[in-house]
Amino acid sequence: MNCQICQQESEKYREEKLSGDLKIQVEAHLQQCAECAESYRIHSTADSIINQERAILPANDLTERIMDRIEKLEDTGNKNSKPFLRVLQPVLIITSMAAAIFIGVLIGNIYKPTGTVISRPVELSLIDDATIESVDILSNE
Amino acid sequence: MLQGRDEMTESEVIVMILKGNQDKYRILVEKYQTMVFRTCIGFLHNKDDADDLSQEVFIQAYQSLNKFKGESAFATWIYRIAVNASLNKVRRNSRSPIFNRLNSLLVTGNEREISVPAFDNEDPENILIRLEKSKWIQNALDTLPENQRTAIVLSKYDDLSQKEIAEIMNTTEGAVEALMQRAKTNLRIKLSTSYKKNR
Repeated sequence: MNCQICQQESEKYREEKLSGDLKIQVEAHLQQCAECAESYRIHSTADSIINQERAILPANDLTERIMDRIEKLEDTGNKNSKPFLRVLQPVLIITSMAAAIFIGVLIGNIYKPTGTVISRPVELSLIDDATIESVDILSNE
Repeated sequence: MLQGRDEMTESEVIVMILKGNQDKYRILVEKYQTMVFRTCIGFLHNKDDADDLSQEVFIQAYQSLNKFKGESAFATWIYRIAVNASLNKVRRNSRSPIFNRLNSLLVTGNEREISVPAFDNEDPENILIRLEKSKWIQNALDTLPENQRTAIVLSKYDDLSQKEIAEIMNTTEGAVEALMQRAKTNLRIKLSTSYKKNR
């Protein structure tokens, strides 16, 4: 038996799926070949580590935790799925915003400024600012 | 097909759940939790993380149950969800290793340990050696490409046949066989290299 065949068959050998002549040949090769023997040891260790991880069981309360979460999901789902609430919520928001704008405009129109109002003489409004010469130009002359 | 406590078939259970009898989902959870958990631990190597992810898998499956058409077995369908959720979790972890390290330190007070069950009256030195070996094997597994890693986890942790793996991975048996061969070769090289380094 050569190394390639030994490597191919070693997995079955580790899993005790080999029998008869092939098993004897693999065993003989593993005793002679240091490289294949080392590879066999490495893979046996890997198999045992994987088996140890496989032996770990899920938490005892995993089912309960899942069912609790599903119950909560259903509760929230039911609350959200009440049709009148689904329609009412946006309607209420839009109505309250419209009411706020309407009241704002109403108060703005009702408001009349009281107290001292600075009155501007009519002549002032007739002055055309564009025709007034710049002070800088005057000072340069 | 599942013969539940009420002698109901799996599809009957699903129909009842979809009609609003949510408590029937317990039957499916109890039946499939160990296999989902094994898939998750195969990818994550940590019991707490695998518990949390298994929970997410079942919640996700419950929320998408109306999309389950029965074209494949429920087991195949939930395996697919578990594999995808595990791969997403692994990708997230690899994208933010510093954050995860900090998070694990803050949450648990120390670095999260790799899960290896301790045997009664085991020598502490033996436990340490076993932990070292576990890290070494897990690192080798974690560096495999995603599809090879999925095939190995489903084969070694869940003990599934090539046909079942092909169904879950939505590919042919031949493709799975080739994938397994490549995965084993890669694993052999990685294990041998790291073994020689750590010797």
